[in-house]
Amino acid sequence: MDAFVFYISGIISVAAAGLVVTRRNPVYSAIYLVLVFVMISLQFLVLRAPFLAVVQVLIYAGAIMVLFLFVIMLLNLTPEELKETVPRSRKYLAGGLSFVLFLLLVTAIRKSPTVRGAPNLVEPIPATEGTPALATVGEVTAIGESLFTTHALAFELTSVLILVAILGAIYLTKKRRPDAPGGITSPTGLETQEVLPETPGDVVVTGAEESRS
Amino acid sequence: MSLSLSFCLYVTAALFAIGVYGVLSRQNLIVILMSLELMLNAVNLALVAFGRAFLPSAPPDANGPQIFVIIVLAVAAAEAAVGLSILLAVYRKWRTTNVGQIDMLKG
Repeated sequence: MDAFVFYISGIISVAAAGLVVTRRNPVYSAIYLVLVFVMISLQFLVLRAPFLAVVQVLIYAGAIMVLFLFVIMLLNLTPEELKETVPRSRKYLAGGLSFVLFLLLVTAIRKSPTVRGAPNLVEPIPATEGTPALATVGEVTAIGESLFTTHALAFELTSVLILVAILGAIYLTKKRRPDAPGGITSPTGLETQEVLPETPGDVVVTGAEESRS
Repeated sequence: MSLSLSFCLYVTAALFAIGVYGVLSRQNLIVILMSLELMLNAVNLALVAFGRAFLPSAPPDANGPQIFVIIVLAVAAAEAAVGLSILLAVYRKWRTTNVGQIDMLKG
């Protein structure tokens, strides 16, 4: 049953990913991307990562995709602005290159003795007396304990990274006056029309803060 | 019904290749950022699958792969935040999100 869920969600996630990159309207891409994230969260559940499955829906489908949709709504692009001028030859080239990459990865996976020797992923973990921690792997207590003891340094560095990202996002989306010191002046004078509100910074902070939980 | 590590990795490889196709073939900056998210997710899935497959032979810290995924998630959130604010800054200046039209090093 678990394997069946994985097969179905795997096929749906690949199909939805294909739709993400081919839709012209980014709103449809975003909705299909949410579908991909939910399917990947199901796969996490099958692979014994219940905490990650919840976090996947909370952070990706919740915070990050809302951020994307907010920016799409904010820009309010017209069909003319959404028109792309990629020549057909370049699309075929991109498709060929990514297909070659896929074939290379598949060949590497097929040839690898490590992957071939891996056990069945849905069978219960054999009870070994030396490592009682294996039974609770992926659960909130185990992850939290590991995150705050063994990987405390990485966790703290991640929080520094998110702080820098917040500051960068606020700086980049801040309104600048053309005569302010360090302000960017536009030679064409196009910059004077400011229709964008200052809210993106707040939304960015919310999305980044939640990912630390 | 059994589930092999190979099938997980095939799904992963397909998602990653689709993400690469999106980055290479699209001109809309929003969709390019979404394709990046897709690739990061593919890598996350591969990490979790490997962690699950080699769980019995894992060192004492069996939660390592999932901690790695959490950190990748935080990096993805930071990347999305910075990428979207760059997108807003670019749109303010050039009134476009089409990377084919943003071809100047200095505005």
